[in-house]
Amino acid sequence: MIEVENLVKKYGEVTAVKGITFTAPSSQVTGFLGPNGAGKTTTMRMLTGFTPPTSGNAIVAGYDVFDNSLEVRRRVGYLPENVPLYRDMTARGYLMYVAEIRGIKHRRQRADDVLDRVGLIDRAESRIRTLSKGMKQRVGLASALVHNPPVLILDEPTIGLDPLQVLELRSLVSELGRDHTVLFSTHILSEAEQVCDKVVIINQGQIMAQGAPLDLRNSLQEGGRLIVRVDAPSQAVLAAIQNVPGVRHAEMNDDAIIATPTDTSTDPRAEIARTIVDKGWNLLELRPLAVNLEEIFLELTRHQGVVAENVSEAAPTEVKEIVS
Amino acid sequence: MTDLTSNAPIIERQPEPVEQGMSLPWLAVYKRELNVYFRSPIAYGVAFAILFFLGLLINGYIAQANGTYPADSTYAPGLLTFLSFLIAPLLTMRLLAEESREGTLEVLMTMPMNESQFIIGKFLAAWTYFTILLLLTLVYHLIMVVVGTPDLGAAFGAYLGAWLYGGAVLAVTMIWSAVTEEQILSALLGAATVLVLYLTDIAAIWIGGQNSTNGLADFVRELGLQAHYNATMAVGIIRAEDILYFLFMIIGALFITTRIVETRRWRS
Repeated sequence: MIEVENLVKKYGEVTAVKGITFTAPSSQVTGFLGPNGAGKTTTMRMLTGFTPPTSGNAIVAGYDVFDNSLEVRRRVGYLPENVPLYRDMTARGYLMYVAEIRGIKHRRQRADDVLDRVGLIDRAESRIRTLSKGMKQRVGLASALVHNPPVLILDEPTIGLDPLQVLELRSLVSELGRDHTVLFSTHILSEAEQVCDKVVIINQGQIMAQGAPLDLRNSLQEGGRLIVRVDAPSQAVLAAIQNVPGVRHAEMNDDAIIATPTDTSTDPRAEIARTIVDKGWNLLELRPLAVNLEEIFLELTRHQGVVAENVSEAAPTEVKEIVS
Repeated sequence: MTDLTSNAPIIERQPEPVEQGMSLPWLAVYKRELNVYFRSPIAYGVAFAILFFLGLLINGYIAQANGTYPADSTYAPGLLTFLSFLIAPLLTMRLLAEESREGTLEVLMTMPMNESQFIIGKFLAAWTYFTILLLLTLVYHLIMVVVGTPDLGAAFGAYLGAWLYGGAVLAVTMIWSAVTEEQILSALLGAATVLVLYLTDIAAIWIGGQNSTNGLADFVRELGLQAHYNATMAVGIIRAEDILYFLFMIIGALFITTRIVETRRWRS
């Protein structure tokens, strides 16, 4: 469990993290999503006790990161973004070193256990510098798992991996999410959608939104726009839909019409269908415009400050249709 | 900000804790670092160059002194202390600069270990390597014993002094390794610092004149390394103030290094 409250980090004049508040629940994978430079790494460094916050609180695995840094460090496994490793050590040697610093008994056995877990046991005696990028990433992950910590903090673990390695790593992270609190940062939205039980969206040092990917998506669809496809002259259809009660605005988009309801609680689908059928046209399609995290994210960052308080008001101005 | 976290009950599951014993992080760091020294070409290069150079000089000394001077076992440790302005920076330049540049410092500082444990482990590894180098020069003492009758008290004082001297110089040069990520720069700054500490004798003479009892001159002289070695321990005079000088140098330098690493972490 990670609980963050009003966390601030300043570097001189620059405020990298501007008072963020979020939680990462136990036994879940929480995605920490944001563009490069949003403050993800700085936040993670504060949560791991590497760098102290300027103000605010963060409780990780039950301990305050500032007052009880050592207790937090005992309970956190951290994989920094560029996966720093001692290149001249063997994979097993490195893990035994980490285990020794952490005061773990039966170090060799433990090193082999985690190497096995990340699927690298057959390369245990290889020097780290001879390993591929994906393997190094796994050695890094193994080193974060040596003490089997309740909390795992992974900073962009899939960056620079090939597609197959990315898939492997994602499934490993999902698996770890079953009994660890995993905070996992990424700037790839589809990744967060696939792997995470919850996402926290950060931009320019501020939290834009947080929640389950599905909830975030629904909140945008709720009162969101409808896509209407009718087998009839489009200008006539457009005019007809514009006159339907509950529709504030309708516009052409390729061969379909996008209708925006008057407010979030109104669902004018029944009215639209009746109107079209009454005119004797064939209704081909009528459904809410699907939205993925990518769009939520673009929207949130575009209307930053204005929509940050309420995702559902983030009426997209230019949304491409996504087949859901 | 919107919190859309669902209210579904969360099943709290904790991972199995791993069996843990007493943890001595400094010992882990020390063992790894010593291991690195014995695999590092620089460390072997330093050892080879020093021992080769010492061998040539002592060979010449014995040839010249034969039948003229008494056998003297303080020659080798004395030379080693003089050369420490070269040896120490080469041994310590890597210690922290590399960890910082490679980012491994970030990993280590998120483990349950504080800066001082980390730095003490590093320092002790460097000092151990220096100690081994110093012990290797005992071979010249054995040669002196064969060719003459060296003063054993002076030899003991000189070796004890050189050992402490080495520790102090290593601790001081290690500060630079924490300051910069550039190993070469760290070595150059380290060498310059040791030379300054070595040459304070000359500065004292400038300040006070040859035979003066100028207080400032004395103070400057006492700050330097030579005042606590060349005239005292190197000839077998073991004074508490000299031992304390070296110990304070070590502790002070390690404290400064710890603070620098801490500050760097706070700013990152």
